Amino acid sequence: MVRVRGLGHAFAGRRVLAGLDLDVPAGQRVAVVGPNGAGKSTLLSIVATLLTPREGTVEVDGARYPDGVRDARARIGYLGHDPQVYLDLTPAQNLRLFGDLYGVTGLAARIHDALAAVGLLARAHDPVRTFSRGMAQRLGIARMGLHDPGLLLLDEPYTGLDADGSRLLDGVVAATSRDATVVMVTHDLDRARTLCDRVVMIHRGRVAWDVPAGDVDLPALAARYEQATR
Amino acid sequence: MSLTTDTTRPAAPRHILALGVLSAVLMGLAVVGALGIAPEDADQGVVQRIFYFHVAVAIASMVAFGVGCVAGIVFLRRGTTLWDDIGVSSVEVGLVYSVLTIITGSIWAKGAWGVWWRWDDVRLVSFLLIILLYAAYFVLRGSAEPDRQARFGAVYAVFAFAAVPLSFYSVRIAQSFIHPVVFTSKGANMPGSMLVWFVVSLAGFLCLFATLVAVEVQQRRAQRALERLKRRFDHVH
Amino acid sequence: MSASRGRQLRALVRKDLQLEARTRETVTAMALFALVAMVVFQFAVGQRSDDATGVAGGIIWATIALAAVLGVGRTWVPEREQRVLHGVLVAPVPRLVMLIARVIVLWLFLLAIEVLIVPLGVVFFVHDASPEGLALVAGLCAVANLAIAVPGALLASMSVFSRARELVIPVLLLPALVPVVIAAAGGTHAVLGPEVQMAEFLGYCRFLAVCAAVFCLVAYATFDHVLDD
Repeated sequence: MVRVRGLGHAFAGRRVLAGLDLDVPAGQRVAVVGPNGAGKSTLLSIVATLLTPREGTVEVDGARYPDGVRDARARIGYLGHDPQVYLDLTPAQNLRLFGDLYGVTGLAARIHDALAAVGLLARAHDPVRTFSRGMAQRLGIARMGLHDPGLLLLDEPYTGLDADGSRLLDGVVAATSRDATVVMVTHDLDRARTLCDRVVMIHRGRVAWDVPAGDVDLPALAARYEQATR
Repeated sequence: MSLTTDTTRPAAPRHILALGVLSAVLMGLAVVGALGIAPEDADQGVVQRIFYFHVAVAIASMVAFGVGCVAGIVFLRRGTTLWDDIGVSSVEVGLVYSVLTIITGSIWAKGAWGVWWRWDDVRLVSFLLIILLYAAYFVLRGSAEPDRQARFGAVYAVFAFAAVPLSFYSVRIAQSFIHPVVFTSKGANMPGSMLVWFVVSLAGFLCLFATLVAVEVQQRRAQRALERLKRRFDHVH
Repeated sequence: MSASRGRQLRALVRKDLQLEARTRETVTAMALFALVAMVVFQFAVGQRSDDATGVAGGIIWATIALAAVLGVGRTWVPEREQRVLHGVLVAPVPRLVMLIARVIVLWLFLLAIEVLIVPLGVVFFVHDASPEGLALVAGLCAVANLAIAVPGALLASMSVFSRARELVIPVLLLPALVPVVIAAAGGTHAVLGPEVQMAEFLGYCRFLAVCAAVFCLVAYATFDHVLDD
């Protein structure tokens, strides 16, 4: 599903990714962990088509960047720290906008279902500005999944989620991943281990450690993490 | 790595030296020719001699902006830093030349009409607009995110160069708006003895432009090599 | 599942109009600013003579250009302030569609303030304007707005990724708008006087159309390099 080869990137001359390779087969859930500044978010931004890689290649579902960026975009569902919805629009208006941008068919019914799934149906016509952070992020989850993406890219999505929202997102990740691929950047080692199939640690712009989630116990992972941060 | 070969070459590359010498010779010739040898204008007297520099530097500035635009297009297609360097340096020199155009034009206006500025002088007003247009280039570059400076600079260089003829033409129609007299171009039929020195002066300014761009490109390259070296040094420590 | 460009375009324009309908920030600010600017201009230049017909076109279009700077400055602001920029950029929308949506919205905003500013300017500064002249000015607005909106949308999209964007936009946009203001003022002047000078008016309109076309071409050729990194 995702194929990353020799990925290199630098911000204003400072190297963030240095020849990173990563393969994610379809249907796999991968947690990307690592210390701050390791290049996790940059990797995710590049796969999400927000950044153009300076070196190396990225392929999503056979669509190679930069030529295949538009095809890839249609298959990706992206969720970052922020819900990525307009605060001055209502949930219904937001989902209508993104549904139109992604060319979702039967949109009205889908919006209804999506809002019901994240428990926002009663507030469908209130401006998002009046929502709590957790509610807005739940709308972000609905936005991310509206077009049935085959690849979910989550950049520390639990930031700002309340306990209910976190459980909801856990459910979304667990449920969609039967047929969808998930790449999730997180600091939450426990969640990485329990929710995902595989844990990839990035350090200094490269994959430093790559193991099936079943093979790691939390103390070992934490120890590895500590070691890398030092 | 190319780092070491870049930094251990202290002398100026040969092409810069050659260009520099050529520009010095041509500019010297132009000064001597324009001020000493060329025939004095019957109507305007000595002040007319600034024409050789005023018009030449005006044309050269347009050439510089044209090069900036072309460099921008090439940069957007290939993404090589060299073309960004050429683009920035061209716009820099073009801007300086535009300022020189205004200064020499203003001196000419003072000599010919007794005032420093006339809003009905098409060239003065056009170049004022062009300076404003291209000054914005540096404002944009300065404030853009570091990784986007080169691309935005290239886009704006294309945009501004497309706006240049619009500015020229709009100043003309603004003139007809104030004075319904058709603009006649000066110096359209100049005698051969004047033309020679005009061409020498123009060649001098173009050569100087090429020299300055070459120096600036070299300087920017050296600057980057230095920064790379610094980062590597920081990394070791 | 592939989205049609028309549907995306409609969605993006509708989104900006919905945002504007909810907050009423941009058009209100543009209109008030234009009104204030017109009053300032009147005291600065218009008061010298009783009949300001000669400068009416200039004042109206200088005012509109300044208001346009305000409107252009608001472009992409909701995306930045409400942190939706990434959400919009990861959507499979051709960047040209995003640019065209911006142009349409700016065009509509400009038209909205012209509906107020042009008649007011005529009432304030022109003694005897003909209805025919006013209709012609409306046509001129349609062309001039395009010549303002296209560079506006292009430059605004660059300033999204810049520091001090509120300083950058006027410096970038106004020099490019000078030709547009000159021609639009000339065209307005040609038809708002005691008699309608049709040939002159059409000449100015033609030049405005050329400006719009040149800006469209540049925007079309370069826009891909502006939004994507």
